[in-house]
Amino acid sequence: MTEAATELHHRVALDGPLTIYTAAESKAKVLDPLKAGTHIEFDLAGVDEFDSAGLQLLILAKQEAARRGCSLSLCDHSPAVVELLELSGLVSFFGDPLLIQPHLA
Amino acid sequence: MSTKKTILIVDDSISIRQVVSMTLKGAGYDVIEGCDGKDALTKLDGRKIHLIVSDVNMPNMDGIAFVTAAKKLPAYKFTPVIMLTTESGADKKSAGQAAGAKAWMVKPFQPAQMLAAVSKLILP
Amino acid sequence: MNIDDVLKIFIAESQELLQQMEDALLQIEQNPHDPDIINAIFRAAHTIKGSAGLFGLDAIVSFTHVAESVLDRIRSGEMAFNDTLTALFLQVCDQLNALIAHVDAGGSLDELEPALQKQGVALTTNLSHYLSGELAVAAAAPQRATQVVRESSDTPNEHWHLSLRFGPDVLRNGMDPLAFLRYLNTFGQIVHIVTLTEHVPAADEMDPETNYLGFEVAFATEADKETIEGAFEFVREDSQIRIFPPNSKTVDYIQLINELPEEDLRLGEMLVRCGALTQSELEKALLKQSEPEASPAPIGEVLINEQNVQPQVVTAALQKQKQVKDNRTAEGNLIRVDANKLDQLINLIGELIIAGAGTQLAAQQSGAAQLVESTGVLSRLVEEVRDSALTLRMVQIGTTFNRFQRVVRDVSKELGKDIVLEISGGDTELDKTVVEKIGDPLTHLIRNSMDHGIEPASVRLERGKPAQGTVRLNAYHESSSIVIEVSDDGGGLNKDRILRKAIERGLVSDNQSLTDKEIFNLIFEPGFSTADQVSSLSGRGVGMDVVKKNITALRGTVDLDSIEGVGTTTRIRLPLTLAIIDGFLIGVGKATYVVPLDMVEECIELTSDQSSAARQSTSDYIDLRGDALPFIRLRELFAVEDEPPRRENVVVVNYAGNRAGLVVDQLMGEFQTVIKPLGKIFDNNRALGGFTILGSGAVALILSVPGMIGAIAQRQAAPSTAMTINS
Repeated sequence: MTEAATELHHRVALDGPLTIYTAAESKAKVLDPLKAGTHIEFDLAGVDEFDSAGLQLLILAKQEAARRGCSLSLCDHSPAVVELLELSGLVSFFGDPLLIQPHLA
Repeated sequence: MSTKKTILIVDDSISIRQVVSMTLKGAGYDVIEGCDGKDALTKLDGRKIHLIVSDVNMPNMDGIAFVTAAKKLPAYKFTPVIMLTTESGADKKSAGQAAGAKAWMVKPFQPAQMLAAVSKLILP
Repeated sequence: MNIDDVLKIFIAESQELLQQMEDALLQIEQNPHDPDIINAIFRAAHTIKGSAGLFGLDAIVSFTHVAESVLDRIRSGEMAFNDTLTALFLQVCDQLNALIAHVDAGGSLDELEPALQKQGVALTTNLSHYLSGELAVAAAAPQRATQVVRESSDTPNEHWHLSLRFGPDVLRNGMDPLAFLRYLNTFGQIVHIVTLTEHVPAADEMDPETNYLGFEVAFATEADKETIEGAFEFVREDSQIRIFPPNSKTVDYIQLINELPEEDLRLGEMLVRCGALTQSELEKALLKQSEPEASPAPIGEVLINEQNVQPQVVTAALQKQKQVKDNRTAEGNLIRVDANKLDQLINLIGELIIAGAGTQLAAQQSGAAQLVESTGVLSRLVEEVRDSALTLRMVQIGTTFNRFQRVVRDVSKELGKDIVLEISGGDTELDKTVVEKIGDPLTHLIRNSMDHGIEPASVRLERGKPAQGTVRLNAYHESSSIVIEVSDDGGGLNKDRILRKAIERGLVSDNQSLTDKEIFNLIFEPGFSTADQVSSLSGRGVGMDVVKKNITALRGTVDLDSIEGVGTTTRIRLPLTLAIIDGFLIGVGKATYVVPLDMVEECIELTSDQSSAARQSTSDYIDLRGDALPFIRLRELFAVEDEPPRRENVVVVNYAGNRAGLVVDQLMGEFQTVIKPLGKIFDNNRALGGFTILGSGAVALILSVPGMIGAIAQRQAAPSTAMTINS
């Protein structure tokens, strides 16, 4: 996890698998950044494996951010993330622009 | 994701092992084989395995004992398991489910059924 | 490895299983309730069904399925094996064997011979009588696969509605809800999906390994409900999966809304978004709900709804069985080897032995001590290689014996006699090539025992014997032979009758005095019996000479003991192997001969006194420590004309308790002998068993000790006729 911080804007890169195998350790990974700013951005380019457990963690982060009164956005979604977001119909829930994937177009 | 998914097939019948293996390889999976529970445990050496397909009744170590042992290994705690059985004995099944094997397939099955089951459990 | 190779493995596996099934079926007659045997039968059917499905051999799967269903009822104790059922299942076994053979021959199961097909239908019908209603119907019309129900999709906005609440543990169990949704797309299209996120709790309470997700899905597919349900088979026990067909009634959805924990309005909105309900339908329904007179959904309806998503009751009932698949053969410890490869190995070792003998001879002639020593070591090793190579081909005779359970069973039904087969010594090993050739003679002997030996039950009871007759198969090793006994507790042979027949047939003269054994063994003479005599002869008869011929062809012998009224025992003695023996070299004149070493008892010098004494008497006997030992002069036998040496030797041989002396010029010692068959021209020469090539390249004839002893016995029995061993 690397952090490139401005005063209020945190961009956090979530790298590696975000799956049931890593869920326990990843919970902190997605929650800790929320304490640090008012606008947090998760860079998902490095999420090479993603599943329902990972999706739940993103949902958790989104809801937790709302509860804390900060905003969370997702960017640079990896193909694995894009696919499941579209499958679950949660694209609008997160409300972030998705790059249109060539194979999905 | 483009990486190949790895499936471990454990069965003491060579012909079942080979057909399953051929079917899965044909569908683009990597397959490793174990001829019984004991043998299969030696394959769980930390490498990434996305799915285990295991027979129930096998010599040396049966499928239930194998899955129970496999699920205790951190790397395979969440690995989905398909149990193959020729019949569905309630006692075996509940023991297997307690061990974490929730997917059961009754032999005989067509290769296509196997592929379907696998795709229900593995995200691409 | 391609599918054809695997198919071959399947065929071999199935054939083995069918053999096990047949063996078990034959045992079940004695122990109809033995769970191990019943399981063995069931297991065989199961595994065949299981593997056949993999190869798309639907005809075998559906046929085996019916058989298996019946077996399952037996296993669960609902029914028991009886004679009819056993007979039926033996036929099932045969049918499966035929089907497998058909597949093996490359035939398609869709193009069966009419007879085979008819038999299949008949057996299926027969089997389904043992199944109760529903199963019988299913059996009579075996389903190939899930039928795809095609519905006209002219109203494209009418979709299936799936309400999915995955259980909390699915993730931990390796099941991913999204993987199931993804799978739906393989046979249809998710038109709309709403993922329920509201169950994900606040951060502190959220367990990242617990599933909180649920889905409302509008799904377009032409598949039927069963197929959709099938997508969730692995999770349906832990999850709430509800499936509503297109155009389901509004009340069904209302009920759904009531049952699910989500807020009514929220869920209602989801349904509207999925197109399951219209906004006005929802409003009307929710309004009605709030009216006091609206009764809550009765429990019964809930249950019916639940049942929609439950697995088929029939399937569940079918599958409530115990698991068995132990007692497997330890496949891991065995390698299948092509028998031809083994034969080739044995042949090569034969050549090796000959070449080795040549080397050793050359070494001895060279006189180089070191060379002689190393060739000595070499030949010892070659000998060990030979022995272990021969054991590779050794198989237990038990498998062959067990096959006769079926023969005995079938023949006893045919004859209307109650006869059991008792087997002992099944673990006795002998060469595979011998095993293969012993089947026919054994069948013959067993059939004879059953047909002519065992008396009808009434006669047996009169004689104070149990009504059930017994045929016994026994095997054991004796020196380097294997002895196979076929015995029965039947009426035994009638000595006088045999003698009378033999005299009639001119086989013996009426003034000959014969021992009982000699008389009994007359039935092996060619021409002793003909078909029309079988019925008039109380003993056995037809084709015993054929049996003897077959056994003799294997360098074996056969003889027979019988006690009238008590039973008969036929004893077959065979060499353990047909290929290589330890030989004893002897010289007569310039020629060399080989006698199988294990039949040589001792060698003695023939003193000139003994020699001349024997010459003067009419019969050739010498005095061996007080016993009269009959002997043959090989010099005379093989018409060697040159002058005998000053000293001759006698090789005392023993076969099956009979001793004889072979008078030879020279004793030359041991020699590993690779037996090569003689040409057809020697077929009638009983004194010779084959030939071999010596290390020097010279040819040596192998003497057949049984043949020699037989010839001597014949000469003693008929002293007036000139001795001949050319029978």
